[in-house]
Amino acid sequence: MVRLAGVRKSYPGVGEVLAGVDLEVRPGRPVVVVGGNGSGKSTLLRIAAGATAPTAGTVTGRPAVVGFLPGRVPASPRMPVRAYLRHLAALHGVPRSAAGRAPSTMRPSAAEILDALGFSGDADAPVAQLSSGNVQKVGLAQALSCGAGLVVLDEPWAALDARAAAALDGLLPSDAAVLVADHTGRGPALPGAHVLRLAGGRLTQEEPAPDGPPDEAAFTVVELRCTGDPAAALRVLPAVREWWSGPGSLTVQVPVTCGDAVLVAALRHGCSVLGVWRE
Amino acid sequence: MTSRTLAVARYVAADVLRSQRWLLPVLAYGAVLGVLYGGDPGPAPGVWPATAFALYPLAAWLALVVANAEAPEQRPVTAVSAGGYGRVAAGTALVALAGGLVMAQLPVLVPLVVPRHPYPAALVLTGLVAHLAAAAAGTAVGLVCARPFVRRIGWSFCLGVAIVTVTAVQPWLPPVGTAVGAIVDGGPPPVASALLAVVLAGAAAAAGWAVERRR
Repeated sequence: MVRLAGVRKSYPGVGEVLAGVDLEVRPGRPVVVVGGNGSGKSTLLRIAAGATAPTAGTVTGRPAVVGFLPGRVPASPRMPVRAYLRHLAALHGVPRSAAGRAPSTMRPSAAEILDALGFSGDADAPVAQLSSGNVQKVGLAQALSCGAGLVVLDEPWAALDARAAAALDGLLPSDAAVLVADHTGRGPALPGAHVLRLAGGRLTQEEPAPDGPPDEAAFTVVELRCTGDPAAALRVLPAVREWWSGPGSLTVQVPVTCGDAVLVAALRHGCSVLGVWRE
Repeated sequence: MTSRTLAVARYVAADVLRSQRWLLPVLAYGAVLGVLYGGDPGPAPGVWPATAFALYPLAAWLALVVANAEAPEQRPVTAVSAGGYGRVAAGTALVALAGGLVMAQLPVLVPLVVPRHPYPAALVLTGLVAHLAAAAAGTAVGLVCARPFVRRIGWSFCLGVAIVTVTAVQPWLPPVGTAVGAIVDGGPPPVASALLAVVLAGAAAAAGWAVERRR
């Protein structure tokens, strides 16, 4: 269990960003930090991960191997993806013989994570040539494949498309302490999530949303395979809010209340349903 | 413990090699050696005082390149992955020192490979240790002029030139002045100067660790 006690952080010219934060992160109970821009979420995560020392207070129980994805998307721009992930595995102390598979856990390898997230770049090309979404996937792959006892992810869903974001939920390890900052709303939806709000340099318990009809921000995403022009299919589907088309597939996002109607309309149009999920 | 430090060193070395920024100091060094050894370098110690003086700023340049190679956004990820900024600082200093070590050997090897004049073994040892001292002192200067101390390359250049200019011209001042003095006098190997230079490089790395972990 990782414990932050009385953690403060001030920067010259900025003042105090964290004003006494107490926090415990334990395996199986992901801690999700929410808060506005500049509220100090990234600073809190950097301190928990060990990327910077607190001005005052202590961090105890941090395991030897930590997986970290900062908010500003990292990765050495000159290195090919494959070489970068190999070097990062070595830095984490993953034995070479394990060839990417983290020891003593059933965690997926970096290559499997890239596959699951739908990495579409060239693994032998320098990181600098990748799109920002693909760089984010590389950063997630190094953080999640290292067999870490603590995983710290700053806005992991931010640059991901709907499919990759859904895949990421399933990739978060259940046997490690997980700390994420999030503003997309996906973090609080994680099973067992403990949601805390950072404001004024202090953490407070975030009230759970009241039960009731799903709010405006909840959507159903349907992935379809349609023959013919996707535009023709889109004309018959009701209430489509956003859509993406890929090779052989069409993904639409609709309010949850319209999910059934979209499925009926799609099947009637001759499309087959590849997947349905909530967002 | 050490295996993750060596992993940092391998990673830093791979990134530096890809960056090609190491080429300029190494080519400049090759040009200096080419000019000095182009004619007859003369009997021992030949041009060694000059090559040791040249090695000092060029090893500093190489160390600066090594320490600044990584993208700043990547640095916290590297540090967290390796288990702390200490390993990153140590691995970076190791790569810079190794580069300086390679550069230090070249001018000592040339008169042995192309023997025109007798070079007694004792004097060769003095020359080698003196060049190692100059290379390690340069590494220390380069690390001090690089991130996390100095973030902008223009200031790095000015600071490096200032330090080298002030410290290289004093023949009594260890480690470079005394090391070159040992070559000129044909004295015993300046082991103390070389050790001091390595300690300075280590101190520069340790100071960088202390600064960086608080950022």
